[in-house]
Amino acid sequence: METLKNLFYSKTTAWLLALMLAVAVPPLAGGYLVSILILICIWSIMCFSINIIYGYTGQLSLGQAAFFGIGAYAFGILTVKLHMGFWPAFLAAVVITGLIGFLIGIPALKLRGPYFILVTLGFSVIIGVVLVAWVDLTGGANGLAGIPRPNPVPLPWGGQLSFDSLLSMYYFVLFFLLIIMVFTHRLISSLLGKTLVAISYNETLTESLGINTMSRKILSFTISAVLAAIAGVFYGSYNVVISPEIAYFARGMDVVAYLIVGGAGTMAGPILGTLVLMAVPELLQVVPSLKTLINGIILMLFLVFLPSGITGGIDTLWAKIFRSRIRQYGPARG
Amino acid sequence: MALLEVNGLTKRFGGLAAVEDLDFSIQAGELLSIIGPNGAGKTTLFNLLTGFYRPTSGRIIFNGADITGLKPHCITRSGMGRTFQMTHIFRNSTVLDNVIIGQTSHSRIGLLGSILGTPSARREKKKVIEKAKEIISFVELADQEDKTAYSLTEESKKRLSIALALATEPKLLLLDEPAAGVNLEEMGGLMELIGRIRKSGISVCLIEHRMRMVMSISDRIIVLSYGRNIADGTPEEVANNENVIKAYLGGYRVAQC
Repeated sequence: METLKNLFYSKTTAWLLALMLAVAVPPLAGGYLVSILILICIWSIMCFSINIIYGYTGQLSLGQAAFFGIGAYAFGILTVKLHMGFWPAFLAAVVITGLIGFLIGIPALKLRGPYFILVTLGFSVIIGVVLVAWVDLTGGANGLAGIPRPNPVPLPWGGQLSFDSLLSMYYFVLFFLLIIMVFTHRLISSLLGKTLVAISYNETLTESLGINTMSRKILSFTISAVLAAIAGVFYGSYNVVISPEIAYFARGMDVVAYLIVGGAGTMAGPILGTLVLMAVPELLQVVPSLKTLINGIILMLFLVFLPSGITGGIDTLWAKIFRSRIRQYGPARG
Repeated sequence: MALLEVNGLTKRFGGLAAVEDLDFSIQAGELLSIIGPNGAGKTTLFNLLTGFYRPTSGRIIFNGADITGLKPHCITRSGMGRTFQMTHIFRNSTVLDNVIIGQTSHSRIGLLGSILGTPSARREKKKVIEKAKEIISFVELADQEDKTAYSLTEESKKRLSIALALATEPKLLLLDEPAAGVNLEEMGGLMELIGRIRKSGISVCLIEHRMRMVMSISDRIIVLSYGRNIADGTPEEVANNENVIKAYLGGYRVAQC
């Protein structure tokens, strides 16, 4: 009986339930809701990108929107101008962005704390300017149009999986979100991941323990650039049109807000934060210009009253309800 | 041949010489204590030895190799472990996870192996955990393995920070005030631990203000004052050295405490 009860209240159950909802509900919902869900999945991937470098490794990057933009534009240019297929262009865009992340990371990560944040912010602003100014390549302020949806995937038992409908696009993005979640979980529970978290706790100590913190930080930053590029590619593919605004640095900050509200350094945080901060204004039909304001207020409230985010709040609540199984949670990182 | 040899080591911060023209050596198996008034340059010396500071001039030879100017993680891997004065530990990790991180510098871990969970990565992880548990029982924290580090007592935190340094499998262990902030009884326990570390074949270099501890466990003591080495010898020699008495007590001789 006790084991049954434990199973019922376990985190695994919560995850399975969430997965079932994510798979089962959209077909019953209208196209409008599905389109929001697609965006939530894409921004959740972005959130996981920031979670790796900030949530787990402790280096706050405000430049993730730039990687998102580079990924989307690399993909757009390769497909629209060079007529590459979806999959090779997807792969190339991700590799290009990862490489740029690696090259930017080498000098930027030598800096610590606010200096690193400023460099990433500056990088993001620069990329935004380049996307507008390099008209021949990017189409300037008009952006790029005609970005394709994923090519159909042939099924082993004949027929094919096509991604023309909104719903199939949703499942496509959800599938990759799940892969990224499994990837993150595996990374963080590995020895390598433990050293990343160690850097976020105390970089000096980690270095004194014989760990090359610089190379670990560069690795983490490159992974985060790759994840942001994946989100960028999906966004371009879903939206058909991309414009320089997508790499606007404030977008990067928005996602940082999602992550902090959800709970940085946790598995559920990126999804919960994105859900709350994206879905709530959308469902309440808030005027777009007010969204940023509302996000800002929510972020500030969380920073003051619940810095460990929604996940941290749930954990505390859980511990209060089931006093018999209180565990000691450190701040923010679960 | 000495395990560690320091020649003409100098570190200037602007016009201030924190460490000036320092020569000393540590023999294999030796316990050398570094004492001196506050601000004498003891911690600066540790930071120079472990690569956190770059010396202005001078050379550091460790285990037959010149390690001057190497990065901290390289120096640690070459066999020099250290603790910090402010008891650096990973406060929000469990005791076991703390020591596991200290162990990882010796394991080959790739990104792909970590993600895919290949048999070799799993073996590696198992090996690291086993080794970490060994070290935890060596510092007598086995019963607190699953506790979060910040909930430990001050003495246990000191033990954990030593365990972290031991996990890097050092030949020479630098301890920066391991007995600061613990009571007499706990100090005895730490002295016993340091004794066992020496028995296991690790040389120890100790910075400490607790004279009772320094006098009873050191083979040799060097005394720093204003970044200079003013005395070098056995505990008795140093205790009777006029320069040392002057540096500490301003010229008056008072009973040791």
